[in-house]
Amino acid sequence: MRRSMKLAALLTAGVLSLTACGSDDDGESTNEGNGGDAPQSDVKVGMAYDVGGRGDQSFNDSAAAGLDKAVEEFGVDSQESEAEDGEAETAREERLRTFADAGYNPIIAVGFAYAASVGKVSEEYPDVNFAIIDDSSLADSSNVASLVFAEHEGSFLVGAAAALKTEADHIGFVGGVETPLIQKFEAGYVAGAEAVNPDIKVDVTYLTQVPDFSGFADPAKGKTAATGMFDNGADIVYHAAGGSGGGVFEAAAEAEGWAIGVDSDQYNTADPSVQDVILTSMLKNIDVAVYDYITGVVEGETPTGVTTYDLSVDGVGYSTSGGFVDDIAEQLDEYKQQIVDGELEVPEAP
Amino acid sequence: MTPRLTRIALGVSAPILALLAAFAITSLVLIIAGDPVGDVWNTILTWPETRNQSNIIDNGTVLYLSGLAVAVGFKMNLFNIGVDGQYRVAGFAAAVVAGEAWLPGYLNTVLAIMAAMAVGALWAGIAGVLRATRGVSEVIATIMLNAIATSLVAYLLRKVAVREEGSNIIATKEIPEGSRIPNISIGEGATAEIYGFVFIAVLAGVAYWFLLNKTRFGFDLRATGQSTTAAVASGISVNKMIVTAMLISGAAAGLVGLPIIFGDSFSYGSTFQSGLGFAGIAVALLGRNHPFGIAMGALLFAFLDEQSNRLQILVGVAPDIVAITQGVIVITVVISYELVRRYGVRLEQRRVAQALVGAGAEPQRPLDGSQQPPTDGPSDQNEETKA
Amino acid sequence: MSTPAPARAGTAEIAVRLRGIGKRFPGVIANDDINIDVRRGTIHAIVGENGAGKSTLMKILYGVQPPDSGTIEINGEQVALSSPADAIKHGVGMVFQHFMLADNLTVLENVVLGAEKLHGIGGAARDEIRRLSDAYGLDIEPDELVEDLGVGQRQRVEILKVLYRGARVIILDEPTAVLVPQEVDELFGNLRGLKSEGFSIIFISHKLDEVLAVADEITVIRRGTTVSTVQPTDVTSRQLAELMVGSELPSPSTEASTVTDEVLISVQDLTLTNADGRRLLTDISFDIHRGEVLGIAGVEGNGQEELVESLMGMRHGARGTIRLRGDDLTSMSTRDRRQAGVGYIPADRHRHGLLLESPLWENRVLGHQFRAPSVKHGMIDKTAARADTERIITEYDVRTPGPDVLAASLSGGNQQKLIVGREMSSEPILLIASHPTRGVDVGAQAAIWDHIKRARREGLAVLLISADLEELIGLSDRIEVILRGRLVGTFDPGAVTPEQLGSAMTGAEAQA
Repeated sequence: MRRSMKLAALLTAGVLSLTACGSDDDGESTNEGNGGDAPQSDVKVGMAYDVGGRGDQSFNDSAAAGLDKAVEEFGVDSQESEAEDGEAETAREERLRTFADAGYNPIIAVGFAYAASVGKVSEEYPDVNFAIIDDSSLADSSNVASLVFAEHEGSFLVGAAAALKTEADHIGFVGGVETPLIQKFEAGYVAGAEAVNPDIKVDVTYLTQVPDFSGFADPAKGKTAATGMFDNGADIVYHAAGGSGGGVFEAAAEAEGWAIGVDSDQYNTADPSVQDVILTSMLKNIDVAVYDYITGVVEGETPTGVTTYDLSVDGVGYSTSGGFVDDIAEQLDEYKQQIVDGELEVPEAP
Repeated sequence: MTPRLTRIALGVSAPILALLAAFAITSLVLIIAGDPVGDVWNTILTWPETRNQSNIIDNGTVLYLSGLAVAVGFKMNLFNIGVDGQYRVAGFAAAVVAGEAWLPGYLNTVLAIMAAMAVGALWAGIAGVLRATRGVSEVIATIMLNAIATSLVAYLLRKVAVREEGSNIIATKEIPEGSRIPNISIGEGATAEIYGFVFIAVLAGVAYWFLLNKTRFGFDLRATGQSTTAAVASGISVNKMIVTAMLISGAAAGLVGLPIIFGDSFSYGSTFQSGLGFAGIAVALLGRNHPFGIAMGALLFAFLDEQSNRLQILVGVAPDIVAITQGVIVITVVISYELVRRYGVRLEQRRVAQALVGAGAEPQRPLDGSQQPPTDGPSDQNEETKA
Repeated sequence: MSTPAPARAGTAEIAVRLRGIGKRFPGVIANDDINIDVRRGTIHAIVGENGAGKSTLMKILYGVQPPDSGTIEINGEQVALSSPADAIKHGVGMVFQHFMLADNLTVLENVVLGAEKLHGIGGAARDEIRRLSDAYGLDIEPDELVEDLGVGQRQRVEILKVLYRGARVIILDEPTAVLVPQEVDELFGNLRGLKSEGFSIIFISHKLDEVLAVADEITVIRRGTTVSTVQPTDVTSRQLAELMVGSELPSPSTEASTVTDEVLISVQDLTLTNADGRRLLTDISFDIHRGEVLGIAGVEGNGQEELVESLMGMRHGARGTIRLRGDDLTSMSTRDRRQAGVGYIPADRHRHGLLLESPLWENRVLGHQFRAPSVKHGMIDKTAARADTERIITEYDVRTPGPDVLAASLSGGNQQKLIVGREMSSEPILLIASHPTRGVDVGAQAAIWDHIKRARREGLAVLLISADLEELIGLSDRIEVILRGRLVGTFDPGAVTPEQLGSAMTGAEAQA
């Protein structure tokens, strides 16, 4: 236990120093950005993160990156707040209300856990604009924008890449927490792999079950799960497990196998010691979605309704850093085209 | 000062002492972290608005039930760390029963509440039976049962869940309108409403007090908690008490999630609040297992939780400071109560001794003229009484 | 015990001199003007009743508690002992009645624990332990696990611990209470060996025959003060006992017999085996009649506790039958036995008799949760319980400001009187009194004796277990001696002497 904690701390520290984007620095630059000839804007953005908040090396960080870009470009004011593990529904609601009362507009809720609270609070504050990521159940609200992704499509491509690259015809998938959202990753990945090789063997495991969301933040669990798959004969493991992915990379490095990253281009963000095992990453461009949304608000055309970020708009995709998939890029792009054209239907549930 | 007044004064001084100490320690943490101490306290100590008050009461209700469940075990020196698993299994069961609506209207509600208490009791009872028959520590057993509860509920939830279009949350069927427990308005607007379940929580508190202090069962339970050996000698079947206490604790734990299910979410979903059982341990410690004390502890914790968002958004301080404050309060309360308790026992021993010496404590049946006052001192301090 | 009379102490140097030692606890004087000289190379016994202040005195000498007044001189030098470490530094070591050994460690580890600086924790320490063991005939193997050792061996480990730390004065607190007779003899052999090597032994006991057998000098403590120092050859056991309790030995002696031929309790072939298969009780059979007190005599640890707990149903697994006036108690729970009419005065009132941190009235309810006045319809009847507690306080002379004080704030004697009053109030058929006057003052002792006599007069059957032979002889109508879990002999208290009982208790008679 202690060792794994240390490991996690070390890993975190390493990644932090590498990316050199400590959360505090960014927070301050936000305020400084208002002075001098930096662009100015009256828009005040409230960011309500999911558990983990800025600095989670994953999902929340990706959203934060979009916010940072918007702050830099438009000089919008921003404030952030993160969810606590096991907090009450009222705490989420109250977070949104506190933002609204303090004059923040728009308010971006990062994560599907906010669905109910955004639904409730957006009715209480009809003049405030809300955005929610990974949820489209509020499609009909006049002041809510739903930003959703076709994770299954992106996962299809990395699944195909894995099937093309595997020498054992045996690959794996490590999901963080077994939720419908992560199952979408699994479904696409398996479909992609089977499109290449119908007989391929795909091991699937999830680190934790709801309401235990620690599967998104436990590298030790990720490592154990992935090591098991490598020992079992798999040679490529894809993770959709947020912060636990670090462990998957370590396991791949130790087993001299491959790993596939998720959400952002993890070749660039992971610890350098495991960089070379990251075959590719499934890109889920939350930063693009957040940035686009804020751009819309700043330009006065507040978006509402559902915006789906799929392959056709490069809302999802795969990364090529490291050049490990260059040799199969042609085949992957072919699959991509088929999906965009609607010739290939990717399942959303396993 | 009369003994009664002394006791009250001691009882009140402990929490005040603890809160002052917690205030000082937290301030120190803030200073070291370089956060604005004044702003933080200003924000934390702001009198909450109506909607925040209703949130505090709502969350306090939930924490209160959890605290009661833990306290039943504590009274008997049983550490039911498994309230967390018990309330989730029970809450899930209640949501399923209520969602299926086999009975109409409030009959459905009553059935669901009974189901929750039964399931919670059953889940805790497993640990009780293991402890009574096999000597398995209830701490270990309930921790394991928590893990099993998590997986079991996740598994069953996937079986029965319905998923709203476009949402990534899966949840049980919604409870029909007629079986919901209406909220009570304490101000204007929809946000100023509190759970109707608050009355059931108060009732549970009264029942707890009555059970422990007025009934033979409660006496047996407290006696067992104070001294297992004396309880055995007095004819209490300790094993039976362990199982019964766990059943009651589990039944109370079964109520924990219900205010939310019947007053707010109307279903049990994948984002259902977790960790309430562990919060209940802190609340029970804070309240010294007294029904009124637990209520105070629950409200205090809910109050601090409520300020967490304001701290982040208005002051820019990490919400962890709230968790730190809560932790520090629990520690200081535990320490200060123990200190005050020991002081109280010593005070009383001295008082008794003085009262007797003052009253001229010559033995009633002198054996000879040279008899002197007793030489065998306050019981647990000297002499061979332990021989 | 056929040991030769100890050599008379000569004019050896004084190893320990106590002058005017006083110690008060709130409202109570535990020690007052204690004066003792312990000569080097002698065994000095300190005797006194339970509660006379012996343990307080030893705690003072071992630095556990500071005295309020008086001086301690060790080898002619006045010292202030503020901690056991101080005491050890001045060569004073103590062997407690309850051993302080870690079972899962070896002898070596136990001995060096806390004294690592002396000879390290390895070979040097092992050599030193062997040397001490050989030199004083302790027969200790340093690498054995303590959990594998018998009681006598453990005690020798404790002695070795003290020697290892360089003590020249060794205090032994009631060392024989836990030993069987053979072990007592071995211990005395060891002590004589140490004495001849120039060690000074302070031997605390209330067992007069042992004291007379082993001590060179005897100091008697009564009600916290030293009353006399005598030579064992100059006194008899009876004289010593009189010194202990005052000029007039309070006689527990019973009035005319009230024994009837109605059997109230009948125990047949009670046998108890522990988890390891060792026999704790073997074929115990006895009857107690209406109005009869049956005394059980025995060296502590010979099955008395097991017998009482088996009768109470607190200990499971006993075979045999127990009948209480026609009711078969054998398979009843403790509560049902109490309901059937068994009153119980436990040997350890803190562990088994009281809720120390509860008020007296709740302690009145304890053990009587199923009957009035404590309980009505499953509810605790506080008013009635308090009122009845007030009655007990008056009738049994419990010194307390009221029924609402915590049990812990009463003195031992008053706690015991409360328990006696409580157990009598349920009008039991059988009263089990286990060491009823242990650790109580003389006044309370006399009162408790009176209550037991009254119980007998009122037609109860009383089972009295005691280590105090005077008490047994005085109160009992019949005495059974228990030895290694068996009843080995029946005596008529009117005809038996403490000496005869003593030899039966140690098995001397059986061997003869």
